[in-house]
Amino acid sequence: MNSTDFTTNELMAVTASRMLEDGQNIVVGLGLPQVATLLAKNSHAPNLNIIYEIGVVNPESVDTGVGIADPRLWYRSEYFTSFVGSLGSVLHRGLVDVGFLGGLQIDKFGNINSTGIYEKDRFRHINGSGGAADIASYSKKVFAIAKHQNRKIVELVDFITTVGYLKGGTSREDTGLPKCKDIRIITNLCVMNFNNEAREMQVESIHPGVTREQIKENTGFDIKFDMDVKITDLPDEKEIYLLRNVIDPKKIYI
Amino acid sequence: MKSKIMNLTDAVREIPDGAEIAFGGFAITRSPIAFFNELIRQGKKDLIVYQDVVCMGTDMLVGSGAVKRLSYGGGSLDRFGRVERINDAYEKGTIDAREFSGLSIAYRFLAGSLGIPFIPTKILLGTAMIENLQKKNDDSLMISSSPFDDGEKLVLLKSLQPDYAVIHAPYADEKGNVMIDGPVWDLEMGKAAKKLYVTVDQIVSNEFVKSHPEKVTIPNIYVHGIIEVPYGAYPTAVYKMYDYDGDMLTKYAKCNKKQEEFDEFLKYYVLGTKDHDEFLEKCGGVKMLSKIKADPVYGYSKNWGDADEQH
Repeated sequence: MNSTDFTTNELMAVTASRMLEDGQNIVVGLGLPQVATLLAKNSHAPNLNIIYEIGVVNPESVDTGVGIADPRLWYRSEYFTSFVGSLGSVLHRGLVDVGFLGGLQIDKFGNINSTGIYEKDRFRHINGSGGAADIASYSKKVFAIAKHQNRKIVELVDFITTVGYLKGGTSREDTGLPKCKDIRIITNLCVMNFNNEAREMQVESIHPGVTREQIKENTGFDIKFDMDVKITDLPDEKEIYLLRNVIDPKKIYI
Repeated sequence: MKSKIMNLTDAVREIPDGAEIAFGGFAITRSPIAFFNELIRQGKKDLIVYQDVVCMGTDMLVGSGAVKRLSYGGGSLDRFGRVERINDAYEKGTIDAREFSGLSIAYRFLAGSLGIPFIPTKILLGTAMIENLQKKNDDSLMISSSPFDDGEKLVLLKSLQPDYAVIHAPYADEKGNVMIDGPVWDLEMGKAAKKLYVTVDQIVSNEFVKSHPEKVTIPNIYVHGIIEVPYGAYPTAVYKMYDYDGDMLTKYAKCNKKQEEFDEFLKYYVLGTKDHDEFLEKCGGVKMLSKIKADPVYGYSKNWGDADEQH
């Protein structure tokens, strides 16, 4: 497929979707993470279990909801439970393979802020954790989708709502937290991981047409590049077809 | 058969100023709005509030000045907007806002519902929430090590059995057996509370309960009072009963950005109405309510209130 035949959002959704493996249990929120998860379920991973923290498992919505508390999202579910039933008996029990998050800021060590931002002399409170902090603590892997801007990909988040590798190295385990095998950040410019001893953010693949300079300019600190940094694989026609015609035909997120 | 049916005014009169009270509801769904509005009308003060994830009603209660302390796991009005009265009070320090995660509050209720003193976990470790709670000397958690000598570091979350709790549900019988369709994130809270009030859209017969016992999510053992308030969660949604009112939520999410505009909203819709019936009338009455009736298959309105039509 030619790189002019898809949008950046479509590329992000496809890239994230390909990171999910069939049979995994995924806790997900609305927006692009949900789009990516549904794409995986409709293509290479039909046996994904999709769990929403409010206590909803494997719904098949036909109308777009405004959030996870919208009954539109619950249509044709396989299981209804409580907060404790989803984040307790599944996540805390250790059965979640991937927690898929968004956030206001993400830092050099993969910590995510979804609580608020310092503006001049005050702290502007936005939303807070909900289940996000719990999901980041107990999922085996954490994926996040974010806009690549230097005020969003930062040296240190204003507020650690959800834990990544804290201060890097072994600091996460030293704090007593469960191990996290992998954190991946998918942005409009590149994909980043933390697969080095310092547990510091590094670029794993660069999206087609994007330069290293662009990534550096839009990152709030001196970002590292993996030794064998790749070009992000292009979406195939089937994936783009599914996104446009099945997953998000009204183009709410894509 | 002993009836637990109460009227809303009397039920709310039982809640004293300074009471410790927990709420069900989540963003724009099953928020016990009728109960919140009556708390505001009766001018309650200094409430100590607990909630997993806050909802529209909590934002109104905080905006009305009734809350002294709020322990919560964050929240929003979903895509309609933010809980700006809570955010504003958090920023200005006009309430003592104590932020947890959703599961940590739910676990405190779970411990309360099981009668155990605390729950050991690893959630909150490393977060700014635990740091802030420790700065405030919050006594609901402590960092400890495992008594089993395995070197595990743990957060102990203290059990919580709030004096009062309020949930909105579609159905209950007069004995207090509560039926809720859809997800039940407020179940543990309901079972932990010392006095649980449930506002319901409709009271059903005990015969109906006995023919569908598997549908009872909270049995009468836990229930103090059942209050019949049709459309008691309006303008938030009740799955399989009625949808949220997108227009009203949009209006609220605009008004709650500034205290003065919120005060006008409150004056017109809440303080300017004597009960929930009058509130519903001001919001559009039967004509409006018939538009948000849920389709029995989908569980929400298929013709109106659709997010896709609003954006």
